[in-house]
Amino acid sequence: MIRSVLRVLAPAILSACLLGACAEPRFFEQDNPQRLSDWNLFRDDGSRFIPREQTLVFAPANPLFTDYAGKLRTMWLPAGGQASMRGGELEFPAGSILSKTFYYPTGADGVLLESIDHENELDRQRHRMIETRLLVRRDDGWHAMAYVWNDDQTEAFLRVAGASVPASLQRSSGTEDFVYFVPNENQCAGCHVTVHPDGPLHPLGAVPEQLAAAANPDGAHPSQLQAMRERDWLEAAPVRTAAASWQDSRADLDTRALAYMNIHCGHCHNPDGAADTSALVLDGRHRNPVELGVCKTPVAAGGGAGDLLYSIHPGAPERSILLYRMESSEPDEMMPELGRSLAHEEGIALIHDWIAAMEGDCPEPVRAFGNG
Amino acid sequence: MFTDFRIALAIPVALMLAACGEPQPQLSFEESLQQQLIEAEPGDVIDIPAGTHELTRSLSLNVPGVTIRGAGMDSSILSFRNQLQGAEGLLVSADDFTIEDLAIEDTVGDALKINDSDNVTVRRVRTEWTGGPLTTNGAYGIYPVQSSNILIDGSVAIGASDAGIYVGQSTRIIVRNSRAEYNVAGIEIENSTFADVYDNVATNNTGGILVFDLPNLPVQGGRNTRVFNNSIVDNNTANFAPEGNIVATVPAGSGLMVLANDNIEVFGNEFAGNNSANMMVVSYHITGLPIDDENYDPFPESIHVHDNSFSGGGAEPDSEPLALLREATGQAVPDIVWDGTILPGKTAPDVICMRGNGDADFVNLDAPGGFAAPSFEIGPHDCAGEELPEVSISTGP
Repeated sequence: MIRSVLRVLAPAILSACLLGACAEPRFFEQDNPQRLSDWNLFRDDGSRFIPREQTLVFAPANPLFTDYAGKLRTMWLPAGGQASMRGGELEFPAGSILSKTFYYPTGADGVLLESIDHENELDRQRHRMIETRLLVRRDDGWHAMAYVWNDDQTEAFLRVAGASVPASLQRSSGTEDFVYFVPNENQCAGCHVTVHPDGPLHPLGAVPEQLAAAANPDGAHPSQLQAMRERDWLEAAPVRTAAASWQDSRADLDTRALAYMNIHCGHCHNPDGAADTSALVLDGRHRNPVELGVCKTPVAAGGGAGDLLYSIHPGAPERSILLYRMESSEPDEMMPELGRSLAHEEGIALIHDWIAAMEGDCPEPVRAFGNG
Repeated sequence: MFTDFRIALAIPVALMLAACGEPQPQLSFEESLQQQLIEAEPGDVIDIPAGTHELTRSLSLNVPGVTIRGAGMDSSILSFRNQLQGAEGLLVSADDFTIEDLAIEDTVGDALKINDSDNVTVRRVRTEWTGGPLTTNGAYGIYPVQSSNILIDGSVAIGASDAGIYVGQSTRIIVRNSRAEYNVAGIEIENSTFADVYDNVATNNTGGILVFDLPNLPVQGGRNTRVFNNSIVDNNTANFAPEGNIVATVPAGSGLMVLANDNIEVFGNEFAGNNSANMMVVSYHITGLPIDDENYDPFPESIHVHDNSFSGGGAEPDSEPLALLREATGQAVPDIVWDGTILPGKTAPDVICMRGNGDADFVNLDAPGGFAAPSFEIGPHDCAGEELPEVSISTGP
């Protein structure tokens, strides 16, 4: 009873906040509120959706592809809270909130367009918001959740089981209809728990290597760790080299390809990950050829093998299962399994070129016995 | 007192709801089921009511100690024929898990995948692709992997384009009283240890029962499997696995195939009408695939075959060396086929011991010699093999 009364009263408290009495983001120690606005992470001036100035807009050095959506990310630490380095990782204080709003720029007739620019605020006339995901640091660890925006773009609602959003995206190559999938909370863990199955849920973007770069080329700080330090959100700024980015056109092919796999494959394909059953280690850190899939036959790929024999056939991208699964958008074949419905043309081109440049060959199997 | 309070709140609540614009979205069956799975507490039973329930996205469960229970494998049906997302129907990573009395149909990928879980019971569950054996069917029906203490009982698996019931990289396994039909592999135990497979029916698959050990996996050294009192009959469906997968190399008409596994006891089974051969024991080398794994043992050893009944089979082998043998002898391929590949220093009885199999015949194919000099001598294998202990599992918290 008491609980339900509190739930009912929360909007009343919030509407007081909207009048300007409390412009701080709000942390909920328990029960996730049903409405994104309850967290008070953003303000809304009627036409624009603007991160509160108490939050830090940030961007990781090596970003993940999500159906060509743009991502507006914010970080907020509670008053007096500081993150610190523990065992090489950034440990955030309880009460910290990370947000990521997935949006598309809109064209004529509201058609969705590929996101190219970094946006620090979203204008309803020019953008359509799909979902806002939160990672909330509580005493017992991080919690993940997704809020899905309504058609009027006035509010986003908690969707524990995710959502399916039919969409149509216009790119230079044409218009593609697809279903944008908002992850359910287990699917959040599918990437954010990298030690399967009992490891902790943790951020992937707000980590030292990802933050040790500028938010964007014209960002005010060469390192976002420095920006955190200036807000007194860091005990001490760790000295870190920024993660290599698959987008870095100055880096060599090998570096870019491994960076791509690190962020798109490595959350599952690491030695402790959910995909260790396949023995493919694609975390960008392991370079043993057979672990990368060079001349490695599939284990449980099913149709995902695409009638091909080897995960990577050096010099022959068209004979490589790894590329086949990136090109596919069939749910049982495609990789990554989560986080996209569309094929990522730029990523495919990168991995194609990387495999094409590989030296060596795989043996042709000699079917002594089988039916082949 | 409380009643008064509620009335006092009612009016402002109504006003606020109106002020907040549209209400929260209503949840579909699939969304509320997934939400239940996420918010479950250990000890919960989640009921799947009778009826056919259409789902478009994978379901998943990460909470230990949960039971998912339907009203029967022919009444509570989770149908994924319109699935849009997810590589499986239901994905479980949770200890002390029970699923019973329901069906999972027409998933785009695997039907029921259980990863990294201890104490798993799958009871009276049916996984099926309802369009018959098609290459486009999902790979696995009932699919525990890297798990332990697994009981699959009274279940049915139909139409998987890889294996109907597939237990991989696991230990302490019982598969019993189940039926596997029209899969590429009916029942497959792969890179696993301590498995009892008994009182099952494997029929109309490409291969009835497979016991495999494969290289380049984090868990290998497959051994200690008992295959007994099964009916392994007429597994003659043309191989419909997608190319590239290991089971794509299995000839249609394979009854039981043991590949590179050790310490296997096969007894009390009925083998009949498997038209390549009722039983085969082969090394990984027979696949013709490269091995880049120095820890891997490609040779089968200590295979003990006794007190089985064999009839028919071997009449239309789907394998070049077996077909040539059939042609050369004018006879059906013998009941028990060994490729003849052997680790240097080992002898025939180190690989296979056979006794009490009625009038079952045998051939050593001489694969190392290019199949040039097959031998039908069963004598070298007349030895008393090891009897393996019963597998005991714990399936409860």
